[in-house]
Amino acid sequence: MAHKCTKCGREFEDGSTQILRGCPSCAGKKFLYVRESERHKDVLEEKPLAEIILERRNDTLEIQDKPPKEVEIYDRVESIRILGPGSYELNIEKLAKSDEVVVGLGKEGQYVVDLPSMAKSIRKAGKRRKRKKKE
Amino acid sequence: MNFFVRTRKRFSKFLKFFFRKRSSRIGIYGPPNAGKTTLANRIVRDWTGDAVGPVSEIPHETRRARRKEDITITGANGSSITIDIVDTPGVTTKIDYKEFLEYGLEKEEAIKRAREATEGVAEAMHWLREDIDGVIYMLDSTLDPFLQVNIMMIGIIESRNLPVIIVANKIDLPDAAPTRIKSAFPQHPVISISSLDGSNIEQLYEKMTDYFG
Repeated sequence: MAHKCTKCGREFEDGSTQILRGCPSCAGKKFLYVRESERHKDVLEEKPLAEIILERRNDTLEIQDKPPKEVEIYDRVESIRILGPGSYELNIEKLAKSDEVVVGLGKEGQYVVDLPSMAKSIRKAGKRRKRKKKE
Repeated sequence: MNFFVRTRKRFSKFLKFFFRKRSSRIGIYGPPNAGKTTLANRIVRDWTGDAVGPVSEIPHETRRARRKEDITITGANGSSITIDIVDTPGVTTKIDYKEFLEYGLEKEEAIKRAREATEGVAEAMHWLREDIDGVIYMLDSTLDPFLQVNIMMIGIIESRNLPVIIVANKIDLPDAAPTRIKSAFPQHPVISISSLDGSNIEQLYEKMTDYFG
């Protein structure tokens, strides 16, 4: 079995992962399973692929486009995100939970980690807070 | 008879659970791609025949800390220690997904790797804060040891009073300069090894037995 792009007719090997992102030639998202014996049928019988699809009905594979999911703000790894000069997004939930500071730069995938803030032990931080209250 | 044997076994397990001295936890720390997992794999393979985790040339391959328990190491001098080895994600201050694109990763995958690597740094630091009794700090001897992250990490380890052995790795490479590392950290023992081909690893085992014992 092989896959055939229904838009441009390009063939792909069975189990090809390439087609999961759409056809690399024409970005088509619909593929037809063809048996080895029927592989050249569309060319030999001069039938357009669309007709073969109609004949066979259920044998197509359609790739559905999933828009990449935006990570919700409370699931993010960073506590502060710098979107641009002078533009910040604060992750209040993360800031409230711990003193660890991770700064995100730009949209996603770039981080600056503040190691000293991660080295403080929680116990010490608790003590310090108590002392502050007394003052 | 069988019953007695079984009960005794169960009872001794029970006692062990409460009275066993916790074996000290040794964390392998260092910047990404220094060879931490390669060393962890070698130690664990040499003494138990197991493995810890996969290695790769792409930085941040290890993004979760991995622990192997009860490894008994015997030095050339005959003394031995039992330790838990914790292989940690590479600690760094900057993580950029664009770096991974050069290794042929897709953008989406690179972004995911960057995110996980950041969480990995936090996890490594968490272990250091809570659960580590000694540190093997690994450096790539082909690179400059005076990086901000190394100075900062050694400082943090010192401030927690943890014993640290510095390992100058990758001495099998032609441009390795382990003496540079020795002069950078004169206050700690420095052992130069190649965790890939295992040269000088005996010296590290010996140092571990008398330093962490």
